[in-house]
Amino acid sequence: MATNDALIEQLRTLVGAPAVTADLDFSRGITAEVRVTLAQLWPALEACRDAGYFLETITGLDFVDTNELVYQVNRYEPRCRIALRLLCGKDQKVPTVSDIFSSALWQEREVWEFFGIRFTDHPDLKPLLLPEDTDFHPLQKDFGKVHAYRRRDEIYG
Amino acid sequence: MATEKVEPVIQFALLDDLLNLARANSLWPMTFGLACCAIEMMAAGAARFDLDRFGAGVFRPSPRQSDVMIVAGTISRKMAPVIKRLWDQMPNPKWCIAMGNCAISGGPFEYPEQYAIVPGAHLIVPVDITVPGCPPRPEGLIQGILALEDKITKGEQRNLLRRFSRKVEAR
Amino acid sequence: MDEQLLEPVRENIYQLNLGPQHPSTHGVLRVLLKLDGEYIVEAEPVIGYGHRGHEKMGENHTYLQFMPNTSRMDYLSGLIYNHGYCLAVEKMCGIEVPERARYIRVICAELNRISSHLLWFGTYVMDLGGFTPFLYCFDDREQILDLLDGVSGSRLTYSYCRFGGVNRDVDDAFVAGARRFIARLRSRWVDYHNLVTKNVIFIHRVRDVGIIDRDLALRFGVTGPNLRAAGVAYDLRKIEPYEVYDRFDFEVPIGGKGDAQDRYHVRLAEMEQSCRIIEQAIEALPAGRFRNEYRYQHVTPPKGDYYLGFESARGATGYYLVSDGSRYPYRCHIRVPSFGNLQVLTEVLKGTMVADAISILGSVDLVIPEIDR
Repeated sequence: MATNDALIEQLRTLVGAPAVTADLDFSRGITAEVRVTLAQLWPALEACRDAGYFLETITGLDFVDTNELVYQVNRYEPRCRIALRLLCGKDQKVPTVSDIFSSALWQEREVWEFFGIRFTDHPDLKPLLLPEDTDFHPLQKDFGKVHAYRRRDEIYG
Repeated sequence: MATEKVEPVIQFALLDDLLNLARANSLWPMTFGLACCAIEMMAAGAARFDLDRFGAGVFRPSPRQSDVMIVAGTISRKMAPVIKRLWDQMPNPKWCIAMGNCAISGGPFEYPEQYAIVPGAHLIVPVDITVPGCPPRPEGLIQGILALEDKITKGEQRNLLRRFSRKVEAR
Repeated sequence: MDEQLLEPVRENIYQLNLGPQHPSTHGVLRVLLKLDGEYIVEAEPVIGYGHRGHEKMGENHTYLQFMPNTSRMDYLSGLIYNHGYCLAVEKMCGIEVPERARYIRVICAELNRISSHLLWFGTYVMDLGGFTPFLYCFDDREQILDLLDGVSGSRLTYSYCRFGGVNRDVDDAFVAGARRFIARLRSRWVDYHNLVTKNVIFIHRVRDVGIIDRDLALRFGVTGPNLRAAGVAYDLRKIEPYEVYDRFDFEVPIGGKGDAQDRYHVRLAEMEQSCRIIEQAIEALPAGRFRNEYRYQHVTPPKGDYYLGFESARGATGYYLVSDGSRYPYRCHIRVPSFGNLQVLTEVLKGTMVADAISILGSVDLVIPEIDR
């Protein structure tokens, strides 16, 4: 567990202590949650890569007031899943992390086609799963029939 | 969107019947799976269910060698043009079986404002037989193939080989 | 001008389109290969031919309504996906599961894992040109499907788990059948090894082919048997034990260098370990209820998000559910293992020959509709 604590400490110094929430009980399936800004995303993920983590998944979330990206990194042993949460405005572009983790190449393409979040410096930003001439972003909440479209603070308080 | 089948200009009744009998009892399906139903299609061709008993077990990898297309699975919008092209590549006479609810009508994935799938193979290619189920069991596919054989010979009574084998079984 | 002259001559490169209808691509994968003679210069998988919008469906279906979708994503190990989804929702809502149901779930999930590996075994050897093992595997697989059909009513897309238990109880016939199946499968190993493992043609097609080592796996997020073949004992059943996996004694088989032969051996060894888990679970199967007294139809998890990782037959899978306190999930994201397992092929296929590409594609065990979702 020592190495996990070292990385969490390192992230604390990188993004500031209040932005890091460690949950050692694993009650939500995540060991630590880190709120990052656009500028902190790169250094934080680089620190994760240097500590031997791999990028598990990138999840996009669409709220009325903002978009959110959740980068989950994990390691082989011992278990330590860290979620980096990045708030980005509706028109903001996010720097690509495909230079850090190659698996982001496709995952960012997927987020782009589903949510319309643009990634700067991505080498090949075209739709991954949908036909290449698709002009809509299906997982945006104003597309099609959804149950609810909420502000972020309605869910996360 | 669906194209009509082309019938030959000159037809010989008796010879046609004979040819149809041969066609019906040696159907060559195309190796072509889209989703879950493809696994049941494989199971139908494998040890226990053995489609070869009905002459339909020779799965061909190329559309140019096959005469039945079994649309086994959900047709996505991206896949639809490919299926159309595969169908066009198959030589006449050719038949199509829509296997599973997805290929029949979109199945569990069809709901208002679904953006990803084409609800039904009949929108792309002319479908002869539909086999419902999600996925259909291999027995269902076998029944579908027998129904197609009857359709080709224009009636079960005229499928002489099947009538013969049935009499042998009854004995 | 000078730069142009210095560029190597690349006029012999031509492009080959493999798929989406190709018998060796296991469904609807399309790979664009740039070839220099027989050698692959660049490989670009094109996916999405099986995209059905599962994640969007998750947002306008209730939690229970989404259950059938889970077994249609990775249809070869559908029950494991059901299981993971139930666990995620149960953890969110704090639903208690009776002990008996937990053991039944583990038994069924492991049976499903064996059936998935058996199908992979048969189709992989068929890709390499051997048809007979395919018939052997499907014969064995039918025995599992009979068992699972008996308890769930479906051969492939089970939807067997429910929030707070399973749909139906297992009876003595199921337990006896599972025992019989394990004995039968163990008697089959000799046949498999004689037919395939010791076959010289097979060995030459898989040895030193498509090496995925630890570093490459780390960069692309490769998990499952493909990662374990590289010598990393990463199995979520051990690392973050869910359900009752921590009560069983089983090993995580690992390989050495991570080539196709290692992947083959790891999967075969995993089937044996699954047999061990099933045996222990049958031994310890407690009496009692198989589902909660209350039937959870419309669950409303508290606000917030939850991630649950579990080990499917292909690797580390996960559900990321965001609840807004209503009956519908606000977001339902699925982390699928084949995504990384396929993406790594853009690197692995470089420099190999076309015949090896077929061997590599088969050896990583892809299920395309799972990637496409």
